[in-house]
Amino acid sequence: MIAALLAAFAFQTIDSVPSHRAPRSVAIDARLAADAHVAIGDRIIMSSTPGGPGDTVIVTALVRRRADPSEVARAEYRVRMHLDELQSLIGYGDRVDRFAVSARSDSSTTRAIRRINDEAFGFQAYRSRDIAVETSRTFLVVTRFHRAIGVITIVASAIFLLCIMLLKVDERRRDVAALRLMGISAGTIVRSVMIEAALVAVLGSLMGVGIGWLTSLGINWHYRAVYRTPLAFSVVTPSIVALAVTLSLVLGLAAGFAAAQRLVRAPALELLSGRREDRRDLVQAR
Amino acid sequence: MLLRLAWAALTRHRSRTLLAVLGVAVSAAMLLDMVMLSSGMRASFRNMLLAKGFQLRLAPKGTLPFDTDATIPDATNVIRTLHAIPGVQTVSPVLGGQLHVSLGSRTVTATAIGIDPAVQGDYDITAGRAPASPDEFVANDTFIRDARVSLGDTVAAAAGYDPQLRAFAGRRTLRLVGRAHFLYMAGDQRAAAVPIATLQAMQGERARDRASLFMIRAATGANVDTVLASVERALPNVSAVSTETAMRQVDERLSYFRQLALILGAVSLAVGFLLVTTLVSVSVNERLGEIVVMRAIGVARGRVVAQIVLEGVGIMIVGAVVGLALGLVTARYLNSILASFPGLPAAIDFFLFEPHDAWSALGMLVVAGILAGIYPSWRGASLPIATTLRDEAIG
Amino acid sequence: MSDAILVEARDLRREYHMGDELVRAVRGVSLDVAKGDYVAIVGPSGCGKSTLLNLLGGIDRPTAGSVSIGGERVDRMRDADATRFRLLRIGFVFQRFYLMPALTAIENVELPMAEAKMGRHERVTRARELLAYVGLGLRYDHRPAQLSGGEQQRVAIARALANAPELLLADEPTGELDAKTGTEMIELLGQVNRDGTTIIVVTHDEDLARAARRVVHMKDGVVIDDRRQDSGV
Repeated sequence: MIAALLAAFAFQTIDSVPSHRAPRSVAIDARLAADAHVAIGDRIIMSSTPGGPGDTVIVTALVRRRADPSEVARAEYRVRMHLDELQSLIGYGDRVDRFAVSARSDSSTTRAIRRINDEAFGFQAYRSRDIAVETSRTFLVVTRFHRAIGVITIVASAIFLLCIMLLKVDERRRDVAALRLMGISAGTIVRSVMIEAALVAVLGSLMGVGIGWLTSLGINWHYRAVYRTPLAFSVVTPSIVALAVTLSLVLGLAAGFAAAQRLVRAPALELLSGRREDRRDLVQAR
Repeated sequence: MLLRLAWAALTRHRSRTLLAVLGVAVSAAMLLDMVMLSSGMRASFRNMLLAKGFQLRLAPKGTLPFDTDATIPDATNVIRTLHAIPGVQTVSPVLGGQLHVSLGSRTVTATAIGIDPAVQGDYDITAGRAPASPDEFVANDTFIRDARVSLGDTVAAAAGYDPQLRAFAGRRTLRLVGRAHFLYMAGDQRAAAVPIATLQAMQGERARDRASLFMIRAATGANVDTVLASVERALPNVSAVSTETAMRQVDERLSYFRQLALILGAVSLAVGFLLVTTLVSVSVNERLGEIVVMRAIGVARGRVVAQIVLEGVGIMIVGAVVGLALGLVTARYLNSILASFPGLPAAIDFFLFEPHDAWSALGMLVVAGILAGIYPSWRGASLPIATTLRDEAIG
Repeated sequence: MSDAILVEARDLRREYHMGDELVRAVRGVSLDVAKGDYVAIVGPSGCGKSTLLNLLGGIDRPTAGSVSIGGERVDRMRDADATRFRLLRIGFVFQRFYLMPALTAIENVELPMAEAKMGRHERVTRARELLAYVGLGLRYDHRPAQLSGGEQQRVAIARALANAPELLLADEPTGELDAKTGTEMIELLGQVNRDGTTIIVVTHDEDLARAARRVVHMKDGVVIDDRRQDSGV
């Protein structure tokens, strides 16, 4: 019914109206105030039907939206007024849509729910968190979507890393060949490549964290302005940072290991000359 | 010969090329998905709105269709007024509600719409027929399955539930005469359609001669905006929403996905570009001797550059083709996630494939491939021949 | 050999910086080479002979002086024109062969002809003839990695002759070959000269120098001796 009120909301701004009683006070949505150029102290007429008769009220407060994700995309305006005034205005009688009940403890809540559902005629009681779960289904979908994008990004990153490491390590195959001909072991070379890969991965992830944090600031700044909400759309938490750094380190090391292994498996002379030796000659030479 | 040289260069290091193609394929798949996402929602929503040819929708003032429980009073007069407006061909009234069907010890609840079967635009009959009398109804597969009924069955239905009194305003015995696919309902939502007068009566006094929504089809050749303006003048107490307005409002609500698509698409393209430019750079550095000798023996700089750029473009094109297949698979998966949004009409796809999307993605990748290869190849082909030959000899 | 002058170099100089040091690789070399001549440029390492060859071939620009080939000022040409000139009128043979490793022998020889827009059938035919000419008629479909050093150099010579150039420039063509193979290469170059191509070769190889009709000695960037000799081939 409140929604119906809002849907049919119509008002006029007036400077002064002679009235036989003091105007009532309402609090209106800050966005409504901005869009309709209404300020605290203004008098408006509120009615339940467009153009219909209504009550003169004074705007005494502005209400800002809470950081509630379920309200983000909702463009409707909200008005707060005294219950009896709203009931009177919309002809609702002595009715409400719901009661919010605060209990002393969890067990008290359980008892209260049972009692209400068993005995109170025409009522259905729910735990607040059950309602929250139900209304959060949209965000669960968005979370799943983000997770899927994240997984795809990780797979893509792994392939890119492997490719880049392979290219970079391949570039130095002659240097590696010379080292091996000098007597440096394959193990030393693999370890050195992996240390390099690890350093690049750590430095890269720290840079990425920085970029992610700045991007997160930008995202929040932009969407808060678009939706006119204090909600944080993007949050960089320590656990997210830890996950990102760990993952990139693991992927970087794996890519470095694979690339290094490829390099040390090829005969040193082949790396130096770029010619693939006939394996039979190599066997005979041994 | 240019193609031959590019091919030879790519096949020289097969595993490296293969990995690069794979990397580009993943990039291309993501790019295609984002292109599909950015245009798919709009196209899908538009197709849904225009499926039955209704270009205008009237809702209670200040609301979007079925956004609230509000209804429009005096529906009969509204219909008469609308028909009197030039350019209006068809008016379809819709009333929303709930139908509670008693089946022994259990009750199955369905979202019900009251419609005029002659002009309705909410469902397509897939079996049976449309309601021809006040006590007939059609339902979707989900309802029929959950209620375990068949065509021809009668059910005891009630509507207009008052939670205070725990009583229904109206009860009727209704006969199921048709199976229907409801265009604007979610896939897992039970849905039923009855004649509007029946639902109005079942919902009691508060629903008398009321409708939640009117859908209007303009006459062929009529200007929809002119009709909309006439409707707004004739009926100031309703909000008239054209398809374009609805699209704009959907755009606003789903702007997040379009922006996400733009950002991820750009990142995918950038990563693909980086991959190819790195590959081409390394390839050029390895072949400096060959490149300057080509210049020494008289191959023009432009052709040397073209050959190297062709390598990058080749990787992009092959990667794009593989990526197209991969992208369609991932799009299906991502679409299945987003399609589970509560209350989302089953007809809406977030990822809608149109051939021009594939061409757009391919075009972007080819351009990226060209740009990725240009700098390293130009650099390599512009090296001083004598100095480079000397350095290569020393190296 | 005719009396007409094909290559004319006047007071050629080439200087470049190597770190802080200014290297004067060629210091005022003047040289005329007649059409059909076979000239060997010899001298110790670092004397500037390779640099001189690069200047004559238009792949390097002189700091001062001029180079004309067939009456055309190569040193003044724009890069695109110089490239075209090299394609059609000069052939290069390098010490390290520099064949395209991913192409077969015949494809390597075809490369300059394809650049010169010769039709496919024509260039394949000519490439086969050239490979037969250099003694590799049966190895045309082998890649460089499958050929010996001498065979690779033969392919390089065939490639250099692809567009029937007037002038062949060879920088240490026997430098990476064994003695026996080097001798074969010397004979081949001699044959190429007898068939009408002017050759200028830079070499340390005394046998190769003896095969030429004229030997130009360089030291420290200048010509210190220039004499004709009876060709040993």
